[in-house]
Amino acid sequence: MARWLRCLLFVSIWMLPLPSWADEPLVVAPGTSEVRITTDFAGTELKAIGSMRGPADLIIKLVGPPQEVTLSRETKLGPFWIGGDSVKMESAPSLLFLYATAPIASILPPAEQQKYGLLLEGVPVRVEPHLQAHAADDWQKAFFRLKERQGYYHEDDTAIKVFGNRLFIADMRLPGDLQVGTYAVETLVVKSGKVVGRNLGEFKVRLAGIERRVWNAAHDHSWLFGGLFTLLAMLLGFALNAIPYRRTH
Amino acid sequence: MDVNIVLILLYGALVGFLSGLVGVGGGFLITPLLIFTGIPPIVAVSSGAAQMAGTASGASYLHWRHGNIDFKMGLILLIGSWLGGGFGVYLAKVLLRAGQFGNVVVFLYVILLGFIGVSMLIESLGAVFRSGAPDASEAPAQAATGSRLRAWIARLPWQTSYPVSGVRMSALGPLVLGAAVGVMTSLMGVGGGFIMVPVMIYVLKMPTKIVVGTSLFQLLFTTAAVSVMQAGVNHSVDPFLALILILGSVLGTKLGARLGARLPAEKLRLILALVVVAVAVKMIVTLLIPPGDIYDMTVEVR
Repeated sequence: MARWLRCLLFVSIWMLPLPSWADEPLVVAPGTSEVRITTDFAGTELKAIGSMRGPADLIIKLVGPPQEVTLSRETKLGPFWIGGDSVKMESAPSLLFLYATAPIASILPPAEQQKYGLLLEGVPVRVEPHLQAHAADDWQKAFFRLKERQGYYHEDDTAIKVFGNRLFIADMRLPGDLQVGTYAVETLVVKSGKVVGRNLGEFKVRLAGIERRVWNAAHDHSWLFGGLFTLLAMLLGFALNAIPYRRTH
Repeated sequence: MDVNIVLILLYGALVGFLSGLVGVGGGFLITPLLIFTGIPPIVAVSSGAAQMAGTASGASYLHWRHGNIDFKMGLILLIGSWLGGGFGVYLAKVLLRAGQFGNVVVFLYVILLGFIGVSMLIESLGAVFRSGAPDASEAPAQAATGSRLRAWIARLPWQTSYPVSGVRMSALGPLVLGAAVGVMTSLMGVGGGFIMVPVMIYVLKMPTKIVVGTSLFQLLFTTAAVSVMQAGVNHSVDPFLALILILGSVLGTKLGARLGARLPAEKLRLILALVVVAVAVKMIVTLLIPPGDIYDMTVEVR
């Protein structure tokens, strides 16, 4: 709760810029515009509160910034299982959460799901190096399976609560290990198998505090960082080991 | 990478405890423990080097104050290990690009730990059961190997004397020894004391007191150089990981040294031997058991 309140301090109107379209008026109001990752960050709750007109189903799609991952596969060498070949996967979102008031497959036909990117295993992924179609397919399947198992891709039809067919609150739980960048939130109103209202918004996740500074230093000035940090480690070890020893002897 | 801070602190304490108890550096235990936890091998190896630079600095200072460092020997060793360490860091980069670094590290560790663990186990079991009687069969064999190596080193060029240690030999001896240890520091995150110390005692015939001080001096500056190079070339030193390890190991060392003063030495060596063998067995088992999912995913850092 305290974290949520702090987030509110960054004041924010999530979902301000892009007006909703379509016949169904849809208002979605404040969650936060920024999530800051500090050293003790262990994930956070995001809330979206909104209103719609009349009974309908809702889908909220949360899409993380694209992420480059390396997928590796173990192979058998004699009796040993060792690291084998690997590929890079690019342009797939780091996180894909689909929240809905009912299982998405039951409220939207596959074509519509495809159109709005509402299939967990349907996001386009670029595999490097280019492989034969069936080989690439294996890697893609593994990619989606791992993402789902690690909890970065999932569908949840219990997180949105609707009150009196008008007001809704969505509780979205973000994991602790978040990719830094811009997250898109798309809210869709669904009636009889069609999307009739849509609202777009976004929020940013960034590193804050000492973690960010150390991180930037380690990457932008890696040699200077290495030198200073090693010196710091030596001084710390010296202070902890040698000084108490001198005092007692 | 999300890792439990308390667990890392415990690892540091455990290894510090063992090193306080038995007097080994413990780098060869930190790296496999970190890899078991899921930390990428290159980060485990590099942060381990940073941690050792931290913990070796206090001990080196004390040996310097007691005049236990042969600086001439130490500097030649250091030139060797910096060259070896630099070569090792670039070798790590090449292996990383080929995606083979993890395999190489795991196999090197299985060989190293298996060798150290089994030989320690045999030695300490013998010592415990014969309760302190000097090991008559091992020593002559070691001395024979030592004298053969020494005769070979005596024929090398660049003969020079080391007044502090009271020995005379070719500068190539410590240079090559240093280089071998430097490569190991880069690839495995170990200080190399377990090779350096016996070679200096049995082959180079240096006094034990000077050996410990000199090898610590060499270890301090080798791990420091490797830590800087790993950060610069491979961006793989995790500052938080290394700091937590330093804190843990300092605490553990104090406890270990206090308890070590009360327990008999051969039992202590047996404990360490069992720990080393257990880690080696765990590594082999991980290699033999078919993985639950043959695929694995790593997020590229920026």
